[in-house]
Amino acid sequence: MKIRFVAGLALAALVPVLAYAAAAQKPVLDAYAVAAKAENTGFSGFSAERGKVFFLAKHDAASETPSCTTCHTADPTKSGQTRAGKDIAPMAVSKTPDRYTDAEKVEKWFTRNCQSVLGRACTAQEKGDFITFMASL
Amino acid sequence: MQKSWAYLVAGSVALLSVIAFGAGSVSSATPAPDPTYVKECSACHIAYPAQYLPKRSWERILGTLDKHFGENATLSPKAVGPIKAYLDAHAADSVVGNPRTLRDVPASATPIRITEMPFWTRAHAKLIARKAFDVPKVKSGANCIACHRGAANGRFEDDD
Repeated sequence: MKIRFVAGLALAALVPVLAYAAAAQKPVLDAYAVAAKAENTGFSGFSAERGKVFFLAKHDAASETPSCTTCHTADPTKSGQTRAGKDIAPMAVSKTPDRYTDAEKVEKWFTRNCQSVLGRACTAQEKGDFITFMASL
Repeated sequence: MQKSWAYLVAGSVALLSVIAFGAGSVSSATPAPDPTYVKECSACHIAYPAQYLPKRSWERILGTLDKHFGENATLSPKAVGPIKAYLDAHAADSVVGNPRTLRDVPASATPIRITEMPFWTRAHAKLIARKAFDVPKVKSGANCIACHRGAANGRFEDDD
């Protein structure tokens, strides 16, 4: 009886561990979902499709970097290049699995690049949509 | 006959290795050792050698990171301290003696591009004249590593 209980407990503990292993980006996405709810009570989840539109859009806030694709190219499974000529690892999670797993790093680059490309901070909704799109590829 | 060929080949290989090793060990600029500087300032470009600009230039760059050559490159407050300390300690005017990187830079000038420094334009004059920096593979003079393969480790020999 006791053994069965312990085994059940161990299994129950394993399920979320496996889910996280399959989606290393979940903690970062969960945090953005909390922030998105705080920004907008009507928040109804993230969308890969909206993330794709956002990624490909020409925002035109700056002539040097009018779009995400200026440096990352329009294909997130391919390497990009900085304006100074350095390679950027693909943005798609399937190609660069450790992307969007370090919350501090993710925030640093959204902070910089949203200002560079959009001329403003991104919303949590936009960040979550972006990551959801990159995780879907 | 075959044996002497083998000797000749072995000798040439040894000689070439010595030449290659000799060239690799000559350093015109020391590597950037500060880990915060390397981590934070080499994502978009190489960690440029601190001695290629004077202190006042690095200060201006650190003070305008929200508009860093057309991009926002703001740092977290905790990263700024070690980076500023490193750049201060190794800037052109912190180098003992009369560093060649400061030659012909007026004290009143605060250049923020290494490619505007007289030592740089002198060294690259022929390439500038040939518009060698405009080709897509190079993009600009900021892309040192396109030609100087050892640039990320502070090596900028002519033959790289």
